[in-house]
Amino acid sequence: MPKISIIISSDRLDKLYPATILASTAAAMDWEAELFFTFWGLFALKKGYEPKNVSKDYSQYEEAILDSVESGNLPRWRDLLNNARETGKVRIYACSTTLNTFGIRREDLEEFVDGVIGAATFLPKAQDSDVTRFIS
Amino acid sequence: MAENRKAITVDARYKSCPGPLIAMSEVAKKAKPGQVVRLLATDPAAPSDITEWAQEVGHKILMISEREGVYEIEVEIR
Repeated sequence: MPKISIIISSDRLDKLYPATILASTAAAMDWEAELFFTFWGLFALKKGYEPKNVSKDYSQYEEAILDSVESGNLPRWRDLLNNARETGKVRIYACSTTLNTFGIRREDLEEFVDGVIGAATFLPKAQDSDVTRFIS
Repeated sequence: MAENRKAITVDARYKSCPGPLIAMSEVAKKAKPGQVVRLLATDPAAPSDITEWAQEVGHKILMISEREGVYEIEVEIR
């Protein structure tokens, strides 16, 4: 079964959507996906987090995305991630260094996080992937 | 067989990528082999996305048409 690994280091809509669209599409195509959330990306895994902002340089497009979500053209980011995960083909990891650096505890993160891991644990997962992406 | 041929319609019009594909794959997962699923979509990526998906997971594309910006894609579940 093909596999994609994605490293996500931003909690902005314009980064979270592409990463999660790739992961959910992968799952629909019977691929596996490993998602590693690090730095600001990890903030998106905090309990109840709902992304509302795009990257600063593109703030004029923020409303267009939010409108698209509101009208149902685009699923809510969290729903997209949850649905992808429920296929059983997508795994979500939190970066241990980010937790330590910013004083975030495991219990601050969503239950669906599959594990808190380090680079050495993620690298072999990326190594046996067919596609690897860094989205920041 | 006639019963099987009765298509299930998935209306994913106005949904952006990956909406149509996700909607399609959720229905496909529950469908029996031989079931025909008919997707309606306006996302211009849908014909190509659904074709690639069908090839990857082993379903058969029966028909793709477009009328006034709405794509109609029929897939037979394997």
